[in-house]
Parts: sequence; C-alpha cells; structure tokens
Amino acid sequence: MNLKDMFKKTNTRAHYISLRHSHPEVPTGLLRKCNKCGAAIIAEDVKNGYYICPKCHGYFRVHAYRRIEMIADEGTFEEWDKEMDFVNPLDFKGYEEKIASLKERTHLNEAVVTGKVQINGNPAVVGVCDGRFMMASMGRIVGEKIARAVERATEEKLPVILFTCSGGARMQEGIVSLMQMAKTSAVLKKHSDAGLLYVTVLTDPTTGGVTASFAMLGDIILAEPKALIGFAGPRVIEQTIGQKLPKGFQRSEFLLEHGFVDRIVEREELKDVLAQILKMHSAGSRANALKELIRNGHPGAKAVDDKVSQTEPDASGHQTADPVSAWERVQISRKKDRPVGTDYIHALFTDFMEFHGDRYFKDDHAVVGGIAYFHGVPVTVIVQAKGKTTKENLDRNFSMPSPDGYRKALRLMKQAEKFGRPVICFVDTPGAFCGLEAEERGQGEAIARNLYELSGLKVPVLSIVIGEGGSGGALAMAVADEVWMLENAIYSVLSPEGFASILWKDSKRASEAAEVMKLTAGDLKRLGIIEQVIPEPEDYTEQNMDIVCIDLEDRINGFLEKYTELSVSELTDRRYNRFRKM
Amino acid sequence: MIGKILIANRGEIAVRIIRACREMGIETVAVYSEADRDALHTQLADEAVCIGPAPSSESYLNMQNIISATLISGADAIHPGFGFLSENSKFAELCEQCNITFIGPKSQVIQSLGNKSEARNTMINAGVPVIPGSKEPIYDAQTGAAAALEIGYPVIVKAALGGGGKGMRVAQTPEEFENSFNTAQKEAQMAFGDNTMYIEHFVQHPRHIEFQILADEHGNVIHLGERDCSIQRNHQKMIEESPSIALTPELREKMGEAAVKAAKAAHYTNAGTIEFLLEKNGNFYFMEMNTRIQVEHPVTEWVTGIDLVKEQIRIADGKELSYKQEDVHITGHAIECRINAENPAKNFRPSPGMITDMYLPGGKGVRIDSAIYSGYTVPPYYDSMLAKLIVHAKNRSEAIRKMRSALGEVIIEGIDTNVDYQYDILNHPDFISGSIDIEFIENMSKDAD
Repeated sequence: MNLKDMFKKTNTRAHYISLRHSHPEVPTGLLRKCNKCGAAIIAEDVKNGYYICPKCHGYFRVHAYRRIEMIADEGTFEEWDKEMDFVNPLDFKGYEEKIASLKERTHLNEAVVTGKVQINGNPAVVGVCDGRFMMASMGRIVGEKIARAVERATEEKLPVILFTCSGGARMQEGIVSLMQMAKTSAVLKKHSDAGLLYVTVLTDPTTGGVTASFAMLGDIILAEPKALIGFAGPRVIEQTIGQKLPKGFQRSEFLLEHGFVDRIVEREELKDVLAQILKMHSAGSRANALKELIRNGHPGAKAVDDKVSQTEPDASGHQTADPVSAWERVQISRKKDRPVGTDYIHALFTDFMEFHGDRYFKDDHAVVGGIAYFHGVPVTVIVQAKGKTTKENLDRNFSMPSPDGYRKALRLMKQAEKFGRPVICFVDTPGAFCGLEAEERGQGEAIARNLYELSGLKVPVLSIVIGEGGSGGALAMAVADEVWMLENAIYSVLSPEGFASILWKDSKRASEAAEVMKLTAGDLKRLGIIEQVIPEPEDYTEQNMDIVCIDLEDRINGFLEKYTELSVSELTDRRYNRFRKM
Repeated sequence: MIGKILIANRGEIAVRIIRACREMGIETVAVYSEADRDALHTQLADEAVCIGPAPSSESYLNMQNIISATLISGADAIHPGFGFLSENSKFAELCEQCNITFIGPKSQVIQSLGNKSEARNTMINAGVPVIPGSKEPIYDAQTGAAAALEIGYPVIVKAALGGGGKGMRVAQTPEEFENSFNTAQKEAQMAFGDNTMYIEHFVQHPRHIEFQILADEHGNVIHLGERDCSIQRNHQKMIEESPSIALTPELREKMGEAAVKAAKAAHYTNAGTIEFLLEKNGNFYFMEMNTRIQVEHPVTEWVTGIDLVKEQIRIADGKELSYKQEDVHITGHAIECRINAENPAKNFRPSPGMITDMYLPGGKGVRIDSAIYSGYTVPPYYDSMLAKLIVHAKNRSEAIRKMRSALGEVIIEGIDTNVDYQYDILNHPDFISGSIDIEFIENMSKDAD
C-alpha cells in the first residue's frame, strides 16, 4: 500500500517568508572529504583520531608538527635549525619565488622539521618530512638539516627516528640534490658505528632518492599501513615496462612481504611502539648494564631450583637406562602437539616484538625473530617456527627455512651484536628448504654465511634444539657458545630416512638408521656436541610445557650470567675452540 | 521563524513530530534508512531523504548524512526525537555550527548533564537532593561506620572498581555494618585486587518519579507535574502514568520546585525531564536529567492539556513559554502502555516481521501513537516499540478500567506482542492498589515462576 500518494501534504502557512537572517550552511573546514573512500567526515574527528578516516580507516597525510605532537610527550619538543638560509645551487629560475610562497603558505622553513623529543620519557632525535613543501623532496637544506640532526645525535649519544615522506630528489637543485643521498647516508653510518639506534618510519609516499638513502637504512624500519614506498614511482615503472602493476604493488604490505620492513604499525600505537623500541635500546640495555641486571635480579630463581630438583629423576632416568629407543625419540620430536618455537617465545620472554624480513627479497615465515625481555634484560630471540595447524604449517613451510629465513636470522643477530644483546635461538627444522627458489637465491651461501658470521659474533649465543635439528638447516642457527637439547629432540646430519636411503638405498630402514646415527640428546651429550639435556615430562605438549620452561628459565639465567661476564675476545675464542676441537 | 523541520528519527515519535508540524503549518522532511522505505514516517512527511543503509550507525546515527539532508532539503531546524542522536552533544554542536536550529537544549548543556559526576555536582550546588555518599575512598570498617552514620541507614558498600554486583553489600543497621563492609571489601580484593570502597545511602524499594519541565530562552522555567514510571523491566519502562498516587500535593510542589531549580542550575532550555528516586518515607533523590522529549510525554500532555512537541518547536524558535506555572493544572489521570514487538514467553525476544492484520482501539479518552499499518513489515534493526496506547479518565481506577478495555481491543497479527503481558499487569492487585516500586516486574515474574 503506497500511503505516500494518498496522504495530503502539509497545509503550509500561506505566505511564509523566512525571517531568519542567515540560512543553514556548513562552515568551511567543518567537514572534509576522505580522499580514499569519498565519505564526508567531520574534520575535528579526523584531527582527534590520528588523521585516520573514521569510515574507511584510510590514513591522511600528516603535517610535520602534528606528527611530532602525536608521538612526543607534551612540551618536550625542542626544534633544531628552524631557520635555514635559502640556497639555489643551480641558480634555477623561479625557484626562490616558489620556496618563498611555500614558506608563507605552510609556515615551514623547509620540507623537514628536526629536533629533540621525549617519547614516553625516552629521549630521541627526530626528523619529520612534510609533504606540503615541494612533496618533501630532498634538496640541500633537507639533507643539511638531517645531517646536522644526526651528527648532533651522535655527539649526544641519542637515538634517531626519521619519519620519511618524499617525492625524492629536488629537481631544482639537480646534482646537488643527488649528493644529499650520500651525505645523509654517511652521517647515518657514523651514527651507527657509534653503536646508536636509528629507526625509520616510512609514511605515504616514500619514493626516489629518499627511499634509496636514509629511509632504508634504519636498524629498525617501521611503516604505516598501505603507504606507497618505492624507488621508481609506479607510473614511471608502468610506462617503462609497458605493463599494468598488480594491486598493492609498492605498498607497505608488499614491502613487508618482500623483507624490507620490520613491522607495519597502526598510527594509534606508533607512539607506544616507538617508546618500547627506544626503551629496549636505552643505555640500560647495553653490555655493562646487562651484567648488572643479571647479577642483581633474577626473581624466583630460588623457586626454580626447587622445581628443577623435582624433575631430576626424569633426567637421570635418561642418563642411565634408556628405555626409549632412538627411533621413538625421532617420532616424539616430530609430534604434532609438541610445543613449537613461538610457544617458547611466549612462555619465556616478555614484550616480544617481532621484526620481519631479510632486507633482500622476502620475509620467510619459517623463521620468527625479534627482541624481547628475559628477566628484564633485552635479548634477541630467533626461532625456527613450526605451525600448529596445516594452514599455519603451509604458511611457515613446515619450518623449513629458505635462504631469506637464514638472512633474516643473520640480520637480527648482527643487530643484536650492534646493541650488545645476547642471542637465543630455538632450533626446530626438518632441514633447510629444498626447492628451486631456495637454490636460485643461494641456500648454500645463506647457510655458510651464518656459520661464518656466527662464529665471530661478539655477543653470547645460545641455541636450544627443541624438536628436530635437521642438518645444515639447523646448524645455521646453532653455531653458539652452548647448544642444548630437549630430552626428546634430535640433531643429525640428515634425517634417518635420508640416511637410510643414501647408505642402504632403502628409506624404510629409517628406524635402524636412527639407532646408529647417534642423534639423541643423550648420545650427542656423550659425543660432546651439546652441553645440556633438558628433561621433558611424558606426553610433552603446550599444556605441560610450564615445567620445562621453569627449568629452562633458570638454565638460561645461568647461561647469561656466565657468558655476559666474559670479554668479547674470551667469548669469541671460546666459541672458536668449541668448534675447532670437533 | 522555522518553516521546515527535518525529523532525525523514525517510528512513532517521527510520526508524532510530523503531526505537530502539520498542525503548525511547518513543512516536514523525513530521513530514512534503506530498511525504512515503507515506514510510516517516510510516507507521511512532505519530503523524505534516504540517509544510508539499515544499521543505525550508518543511517540514523550518521551525523554528516543527516546534516547534508538538512541542507539539501532546505530545512532550517532538526528535531531529534528520542534515542539516536537526541542526547548527542556533538550532533547538537554540529547543528549550531551549521546554523541549523537544534530542537532541544544547547550542546554545552547536553554535554554537562551527560557527565554523571558533573551533573551531580551541579545538583548539589543548586540544593537539589542527590543520593548521599562518602566523598573520600574508605579502606577500613571503622572509618566506614562513621561515614555510614552520617549518610543515613540503610547504606550500601560498593567497591570503587566494582561491577556485576561483586564487592557490594547492604547494611540495614549500624550493627550489620562491620560485617557487610568486611565481606564486601574481601570480595573486592578477590575480584578486582583493590580494596578501595565507597559508601552510599541505599534507596530501598523506590519509585521512579520524573518531572517534565519546559524552559524557554528567556529564563522562564515551569514544570508540568510528574510521571510515575516504576513499572519497568531491565530499566526499560513499560507503563507510565500521571499523576502518581504516591505524591501528595505538598510533595508534588516540593519535587516540582526541585526540578525547576535543577533545570535553572543547568541553564536548561526546551523540554526536559528530571528523574528522581522516591523513597517510601517521601525522601527523593536526583538521578539524572534527560535532555530530550520522552517516550511517555503523552501522559503529561493529557493531564495538562499542553502539546509538548509544539512547545518544543516554539521554544526553539525563540518564543516565550505560552504558560506560566499557575496555568498548569493536572486534570484527571492518564496511563500509557508501550506495545512492543516481542515475545514475553521467550524472554521478551524481539519479534520483527510483517503485520498481516491489525485493529487498534479508539473512542473517548483513548490515544494511539504508532507508526504501524496493516501490511507493514517491522524491521529487525531497531527498537521493538510499535505503538503507545494512552488513556485518560477522571481518576486512576477509571483510567485502569479504560486501559484494560482498550488493550482488550488491540489486535496485531503476524508478529508477537506484549499486549497480553500488559493486560496482566493492569489486572495485578498491587498495580490496581498502586503499591508499586521499581522492582514490580521482577517480583511479578518471580511470582509467576
């Protein structure tokens, strides 16, 4: 029933003339349009909501000073080099006028704002690019302001955080602009050589010469969601190769997948994430302070001792009569419900922050690594990660790392070395990934490089084999000061199946092979390949991993106590000899 | 002068407002969601603008779209009705910024009354009684006992971090206090890991009494008597009446004065409601102020003869109140029953769907405010209220008889309604005798079990 046409309309006042002086209208600036979803949104909401569209969650670009407000503790920002004299190295016509008008319009002196801030109480030097100023292209002043800020940070021993956003080099300054790439990179090298932390936050868009210099040099590279990040712009690429680029190409998520970004951070949590990174890299976490921390505090160590003694019978049972055959242990080590690497991260460490990517090609999900606290001490944790479900296992390639996984691990180890953090690895892999792409990208080189670099890493390294220790794929994360194994973990040159098929041309004789290969924890301890065997409860699963973790916690504590006491040369000599004598 | 009003609401209240506008010769613009194309308000208004998909967050709560609809249609005012954006100070502010008359109080006032502790302080300063309570946190029984004595028994001990009834104990007498306090504190420590306690006067078996007020922009404030809304289920009112038989003329005057004082203290304009809890001994306490037209406004309209929606529009237009306090006389007795699409047998589960057939009563002293018609489909997205049945008679017992008769005539086919449940209430001896409090429905369903 359509009532609309049947109802009579309102009988309005005969000669109604509005007496109002003004009519309803939306004042300028009250509403704005989201350039992503097109919705009309209240400007105030955008401003109070981290400049994110409340409808589509698209990110608006942020002015430099707003950005600083969003991350700095109130009133802590101290601007540096606010006034810089204009330069026109090529005497480019009209450039001065353009800059003058931009200065007036944006109230900015140039395309970058630098200075010092506190983030949740942690001091840092920041530089923030502002896209309103010639698309934040890098000319001499931008390069100079960044160079000065980084130099001063080096001098004052402060970490640097740069928020990138740029169209690239500034055409009006030609070759001088190009040189800024080298200049900024050089100051950052000095800063890094001084053992200081550099974090970049890539925002939309970061392209050209900025990507190819300071943007990609962070010890830690964060990115905002969906930001365009690349060297050549997408349009240029399309024109050059005559092809349409796939959706999502050169966006943050693409870079994360390809190993160039450590983590994508939502704007709402950026301040807290930055603060946590700064805190984990603050002076208190350096080698000396570290020793102090370990000496003074490992709460609950006493309680742990009691627990360990309770589990001792298990261990001794293992040492004497061995009721479990090697083949049975092989099968236990592969059990689906056995705790996996990521379980240990959560059980033993706090505030774990995962970092992604090898910075070459890919983020390999078979390896999970990052920084975390162990009893308040920052450490680097790297695990070979099996999945818990088939879906997760496919994503993690059944914990068979590709070259990219080993390169990610090495990158994180070198990062740990720079910041004096101990490295703790959990090994659990059937073996390095065996496939076409793995060979194309140099699986052998990647493993070799890890053995080579790990042998001389200047921080303590502990490796714990928690499940399968498959050949070179395991060793690439086990050139350590000590190697421990869980009671039912295995560690061997090859899988028993592979061993049987090579030696006896019959992979069905795997159980027999297991017995002769000497691959159990007990055997390896007797052979002097490993230092400790960690007892396990029967039917070891995530549910009863507490008992193992309490034991492990105490043992790791002991390890750190012992090895952080050593000088760098003592440490590396010891590690050298450990393998030299084998 | 307001010539065209956009009604930012749906259902019977939108229809109610459109009717007032039609009488006043003001053009109307309805807004509707995609689910409300066939709704009565959409069809009855002179114009209708679709403002978004069915979920209210994308339509009836979508401020930008409603503002856009206002500008496009050339309306100069928005009536927000109740619910949705009616008490959203940000929306009111947006209207102010866009030079649109918001038919209700100023955004500032909505905001400060919406803030519980700010509103409480305003009332304390204005001398309006609030539920007495300890000002400082209390950590031990001894300090607590002294505070309780000052507050007045019975008292309730509450955990500062409390919720879900945990860490809460009533002490009827000073003798019980220590035990109650310690139990509550222990519970709080266990549940929230915190032993900070507060003590408040415990209002026992109160009635919900609210006062309707009208305030213009020239400083005139009047009250239109009270409504007794004690019949409620899970804080949802079911039956409202005016006047309340619990109020003597003296108490009415006293509470009315307090209501006017409260409105003045808040710098209130337009129609509003002050909610009080009334104890058996005649003590009453301010709960909150509703800064909008209420669902139950028709009972007040009937006993006072004042059209509240028309007054709202006049006030928003800057006119002075047409009535002074001495012009307000309460005549007879009015009762309202809310008719909802819900199934009382299945825990009042909402019952959307098509109304295949219906018949609604009429006659002397019977008023129906509804938005339903035969063939209308009740959408599942919104409040389940279908209609309000209001009766008016010489006195309460005649009004009850009239309501029973009218309820008996209500026929709505195709969906479940609470009509029979309402009928049972009207026949309940406690309701008939008027000995009701806010626990009435709870007790009634307990008896039924």
